[in-house]
Amino acid sequence: MKIVVCIKQVPETNDVTIDPHTHNLDRRGLAGVMNPFDKNAVEQALQLKAATDAEVVLLTMGPDDYAQSLREGMAMGADSGVLLSDRAFAGADTLATGYVLAQAIAKIGDVDLIIFGRQAVDADTGQVGPIVAEFLHQPQITYAATLRLSGPNEVTAERLLEDTKQTLVAQLPAVVSVRSELNTPRYPTPRNIQLSFTKPLTTWHHDDLDLDDTRLGQAGSPTIVTKVYAPTPVKRALTPLTGTPQEAASQLIKALKDRQLL
Amino acid sequence: MSKPELWVVAERRLDHIEPTTQQLITKATRLAGDHFHVVTVLLEATTDHLEDELQPYGPDEIRIVRDDRFPTATDAELADALKQLIDAAHPNTVLFGATITGRSIAPRLQAKLQTGLTADCLDLRFDDETLVATKPSYGDNIMCEIICPDRRPQMATVRPNTFVAQPQADATPAITTAHITFHPVARLHVTAATPVVNTATTVGDASRVVALGRGAANEDTIASATQLAEKLGGRIGVSRPLTDQDRFTHDDQIGQSGNTIHPDLILNFGISGAVQYLVGMQDSQTIVSVNSDPNAPIFAASDYGYVGDAQAFMTALLAQFA
Ligand SMILES: Cc1cc2nc3c(=O)[nH]c(=O)nc-3n(C[C@H](O)[C@H](O)[C@H](O)COP(=O)(O)OP(=O)(O)OC[C@H]3O[C@@H](n4cnc5c(N)ncnc54)[C@H](O)[C@@H]3O)c2cc1C
Ligand SMILES: Cc1cc2nc3c(=O)[nH]c(=O)nc-3n(C[C@H](O)[C@H](O)[C@H](O)COP(=O)(O)OP(=O)(O)OC[C@H]3O[C@@H](n4cnc5c(N)ncnc54)[C@H](O)[C@@H]3O)c2cc1C
Repeated sequence: MKIVVCIKQVPETNDVTIDPHTHNLDRRGLAGVMNPFDKNAVEQALQLKAATDAEVVLLTMGPDDYAQSLREGMAMGADSGVLLSDRAFAGADTLATGYVLAQAIAKIGDVDLIIFGRQAVDADTGQVGPIVAEFLHQPQITYAATLRLSGPNEVTAERLLEDTKQTLVAQLPAVVSVRSELNTPRYPTPRNIQLSFTKPLTTWHHDDLDLDDTRLGQAGSPTIVTKVYAPTPVKRALTPLTGTPQEAASQLIKALKDRQLL
Repeated sequence: MSKPELWVVAERRLDHIEPTTQQLITKATRLAGDHFHVVTVLLEATTDHLEDELQPYGPDEIRIVRDDRFPTATDAELADALKQLIDAAHPNTVLFGATITGRSIAPRLQAKLQTGLTADCLDLRFDDETLVATKPSYGDNIMCEIICPDRRPQMATVRPNTFVAQPQADATPAITTAHITFHPVARLHVTAATPVVNTATTVGDASRVVALGRGAANEDTIASATQLAEKLGGRIGVSRPLTDQDRFTHDDQIGQSGNTIHPDLILNFGISGAVQYLVGMQDSQTIVSVNSDPNAPIFAASDYGYVGDAQAFMTALLAQFA
């Protein structure tokens, strides 16, 4: 059995600021880490690996420093990593990201199960998993709360909707995105950290994949971010309540009566 | 010339309509003016009449497709049905609730249509016929505006409870039917679906809210606040730090990672006014805040404010109610 886990690298903290001059996000000095939700995806794959001796391949699309997150996942126990890195991939929205990931999964070949995190904590869309599932014509189970192999070629998952708990059975190959409640990701052991440097990390560039250039990067992305800003709450004209608590309380009661709230 | 169509895809929640659908219809009819034809697309079983729950909110049209497989259909099957409807009618815009279901179907549909989808939006507007969708990122620390200039339909999922659903007195939507070919996906089955019994009301259901923050978190203050909420016919809500206490849960939390609320009256005690809190309650009708720090940001977002001790103010208020 072969499992691909898609991982994204994200800034270490969400405390990003906006450059007052360029109005762009100021990401200077923010170290990259593996998207926390993707650690649950890796953990899930490693549990299936323990049960079935599956091969676990990590896949990420991004700049060269995303290799760091691949190493992190290999130190958790994954077998190998594939980095998709090319200037042509830059600026991709979810559609263009999903396209390149799907083409890479096709190239990896004979993949039985593709696991995604719930969503990336920076852009927060959760869209990439279903997009890849659609491009590969595979069934999907999103927001899985449990996942297990229930047959030689079959997974069973539970999924919590707003007010319904569903049990789903999918024939492989299939796509699953996992909730963080599913498991607690393991920490890399010193031995696995050492081992991770001997595991294969492959980089594929544009020419290594079968790609339609009109579907790549910024040019292949239907959406455009036109404005980025820090949310500013709406201001109100404040009427101060003054004096002792008793005085202030009676001012408030009068005001609420005037507003027909009492 | 016929008007461009603005669609809201109706979502089912057990045997009812998911409330986000009604909220989106209200928003869509406001955005549409005379310029768009607002269509609610409803996929239901042959014996369902979920349109009765949509009609009061006044879309121009409710377009129904009936098939007994819809209530248990999987994401790929529903996305396929919607794709066929879109190919037949070429809507300008398609909106979904950013529920688990909406967030699962919409991106599959997006991939079929090769178009843009903006996720989990907190506001929508049109520049001519281009949808400008506002979405939060970086854990709601940053807002961005996203457009899809060249491809149609343009699509968005919208966070539940962002807009208020308002029935219209004179709503008379046209009810039409459409047809698709249902393509079953044999490789995925829902083998069980059990309703999760969730009788807990959330702070979002109350029309009066007494909200407590870290500066109003001790036993006595919570007891006074409980009395005050009873007197007002409301309930208690909390800022996020208080959900660490056993007695409060996520259902009680106000803010961007909790409930977005719009009560008639909210009284904030000992809440500093972090932006993630404010955005969850800034559309309340009347906002009153009590905080010992005159510079607390909560005051700038309030109609009435008192600088002082939360407990002392509550005691005084309760005494005058008696
Ligand atoms: C502020 C901001 C807002 C944005 N809003 C939108 C939007 O509304 N619509 C839109 O189409 N695009 C949007 N984008 C672009 C989007 O961030 C990128 O396309 C990104 O590459 C993937 O989307 P995501 O981060 O939302 O991932 P999600 O869809 O949230 O990620 C889900 C899972 O997919 C996998 N995954 C995601 N990215 C990668 C990757 N690069 N390599 C491998 N696996 C991956 C991971 O398993 C992850 O857990 C936005 C970008 C920014 C900066
Ligand atoms: C991604 C993200 C999402 C978040 N989502 C939410 C959310 O949904 N909801 C939420 O609430 N927060 C959320 N937060 C946290 C938010 O940023 C704040 O930390 C939080 O709202 C602070 O709660 P507070 O006002 O109760 O506490 P504090 O900020 O500690 O404020 C306590 C206030 O009480 C006042 N005070 C102290 N003693 C008294 C007294 N005796 N009488 C009167 N006043 C007194 C102080 O002057 C102070 O202003 C989120 C944060 C992040 C990063």
